[in-house]
Amino acid sequence: MRPLFAGTTIVEFGGGAAGPIATRYFADHGATVIRVESRRRPDFLRILRLTPTTPGGLDGSAHFAVLNVNKLSVALDLSRPEGVAVARRLALRADAVAENFAPGAMAKWNLDYGSLVRERPDLVMISTCLNGQTGPDRHYPGFGGQGSALAGFNHLTGWPDREPVGPFGTITDSLSPRFAALLLAAALLRRRRTGEGQHIDLSQVEAGIVCLTESILTCTANGEILTRMGNRSRHAAPHGVFRAADEDGRECWVAIAVHDDEDWRRLVAALGRPAWAARPALATLAGRQQHVGEIEARLEEWTREQRAAEVAARLQAAGVDAAPVEDFGDLHDDPQLAHRRHFRTVEHAVLGSHAAETHAIRFSALEPRIDAPAPRLGEQTEHVLLGLLGMEREEFDRLRAAGVFE
Amino acid sequence: MSDALSGIRILDLTAEPGFFAGKVLGDLGADVVKVEPPAGDPARRRPPFWGGVADPGRSLLWLALNTSKRGITLALDRPRGRELFLALAEQADVVLQTEPAGSLAARGLGWETLHARNPRLILCSITPFGQTGPRAAWRGSDLTVVAASGNLYATGDPDRPPVRCSLPVSHYHGGLEAAVGVVFALLAREQTGEGQQVDVALQAAMVMPSIGTAAMFRMTGQRGARVGAFMSAGRTVQREIWPCKDGFVSFALRGGPARVPGLIAMVAYMDEHGMASERLKAIDWKTYNHNLLTQPEVDALTREFGAFFATKTMAELYRAACARNLMLAPVNTAREIVASEQLAARGFFVDVEHPGRGRLRYPGAFAVTSDASVALRRPAPRLGEHTAEVLAELGLGAEDVERLRAEAVV
Repeated sequence: MRPLFAGTTIVEFGGGAAGPIATRYFADHGATVIRVESRRRPDFLRILRLTPTTPGGLDGSAHFAVLNVNKLSVALDLSRPEGVAVARRLALRADAVAENFAPGAMAKWNLDYGSLVRERPDLVMISTCLNGQTGPDRHYPGFGGQGSALAGFNHLTGWPDREPVGPFGTITDSLSPRFAALLLAAALLRRRRTGEGQHIDLSQVEAGIVCLTESILTCTANGEILTRMGNRSRHAAPHGVFRAADEDGRECWVAIAVHDDEDWRRLVAALGRPAWAARPALATLAGRQQHVGEIEARLEEWTREQRAAEVAARLQAAGVDAAPVEDFGDLHDDPQLAHRRHFRTVEHAVLGSHAAETHAIRFSALEPRIDAPAPRLGEQTEHVLLGLLGMEREEFDRLRAAGVFE
Repeated sequence: MSDALSGIRILDLTAEPGFFAGKVLGDLGADVVKVEPPAGDPARRRPPFWGGVADPGRSLLWLALNTSKRGITLALDRPRGRELFLALAEQADVVLQTEPAGSLAARGLGWETLHARNPRLILCSITPFGQTGPRAAWRGSDLTVVAASGNLYATGDPDRPPVRCSLPVSHYHGGLEAAVGVVFALLAREQTGEGQQVDVALQAAMVMPSIGTAAMFRMTGQRGARVGAFMSAGRTVQREIWPCKDGFVSFALRGGPARVPGLIAMVAYMDEHGMASERLKAIDWKTYNHNLLTQPEVDALTREFGAFFATKTMAELYRAACARNLMLAPVNTAREIVASEQLAARGFFVDVEHPGRGRLRYPGAFAVTSDASVALRRPAPRLGEHTAEVLAELGLGAEDVERLRAEAVV
């Protein structure tokens, strides 16, 4: 089948995680995604773990590589007017522009929506940053860790008697690209239907807060503050993560969730109806919540001697919601993720053969593909400028000699 | 007709894991019709309730995630209810659903039936593990899908079990994947004229939230050790969440050159309060690389920054962060979020009138567009609020609806 976005071009400014993950949705369905990068201010992920001995230097970042497969890289020095002029030509030729610089950066180069739209009335452009493009704190410079804290995720994650921890992976960096992909796709659909373009201002903090609307309403309606409660639930018990037998010297865990009284009866049966579990006091949610500490301790005595995958399979066979806690290595042996071909393999010039993941959507009539590794910095400068932009060879050579493609 | 999804009709059959998908599509302008059984969605019975009053129109979970939708009741397990649903599906663009794989088909509402009645229809399913595969039949919920995604293992303190966020983040992630899938399928339909099936798995949706760390495993060997309020960087672990006078703040020593000006500004800020040591002031920031620090160096820095934060409130530190470009943020609770001046200046919060129940303040649009086409469009529906209205659009009169009511079909 023809890829959905074959012939669609998206130009991407910025870097890190939040911007680049968003455009991958389109790249994995055939869009030409062109990253505008520079050696003077390299992408955050190209240098996050960079040391003087990193093989490949700026092209040797595994983190950059796994997030930016299927894209092209054009190196342009945006501190020079000639570099900005080329970036502008690229942006005006594109179907959409995505940027996640600090607010004001694009305007400094006259690459902001207000400037571009004068020459391209149906431009679709998304700008995403932590606090949005307006407001007194728009210039606040935080990264995803700060976004997660501001939006309220950290406060809700961890143990009630300890400091908050935040979900692993700075969650606004993974939620906001999903919002961005949705907004960009909707804007492209809208332009197809109406001919009109759009500018989108996505605040990563605001989008995160919209997800946590239940927490906000609990405050605005009832004056109550929801807080972290470990793995326990207000609506289910037991609901937790239990130590299983160690494997290869590693600690292993299994998650078990008992959602209602019927689930509890199934669990008790799967345990072999021990006397402690068969007590009528535990037959109701209220009773189980009252004795939740004891139930958790007893359950862990049972899980501790078995392998996590066996506990989960056994409980699932009995109709109880349970799953092994998988670490990042385990995911590569996970049969369900393998079935969905979640990870694909690409060949990278510096890193060799490595895995990259695609999104979690499977279509009956579209297939996400990973065809190319992440680009080396500026790898496709010539290809894009001569081939896609139609720049004359003479101009290209002159700009290259002048050091604009750095 | 100017909004992105104007004129797109979505029948939303979802239980809690799918509420968010329909909500964001409704915010984009789709006509989302929530279809509930006559007894109401179970989420309506889940506390906490607005004002503590147990009522199907006051569950905060229900109210939070079903905005921008109309609501009807329909008994899909009765022949007449099923027939009415298929009639609605003939005029709809999308069906969203969260039932276990195969369950919709067993009720005579599977893909073959829907596609035969309306070839343009898109059927989007959100399930714990997906529609096919060895675990397609597994039960799952937020805790267990996050457990199976790698993200849980890496979250929490090293001396305790892996821990989840106390609100179900997999539902938000999965709901957004579903919404993206629906819009992609709508774009594909523009080319082909045909609908298709969209299959979102919550487990798979929770792998990307580890931001590539899972994909990197064979290169890094990192299985995701839990470091609590810390973060691994180079050869060391460095604190990320710091106690302050009245709560916690997020602040990091790591990051590339983009962070260094913030660290310099932080030291200057501490120095103004007489709390920057000579050693701290003597750091050569030009050559600073957090990846090259030793643990004793990290610990010494941590003691100094930590001692300073303990003298300041979250609000004081955040004001300073905004004024001085420090990469520091308060660990906000809902209380600080509702009081935020930044959010107020952007008009983010909206007061939503609930007939007979009063006004309630909500987070508003998830993005600001040049044509204001993203918005919280209406409060979550009361049970059966739009049944007569939606059936009238099918051509049923008031008498027909009364008869259906008497037969307990609606």
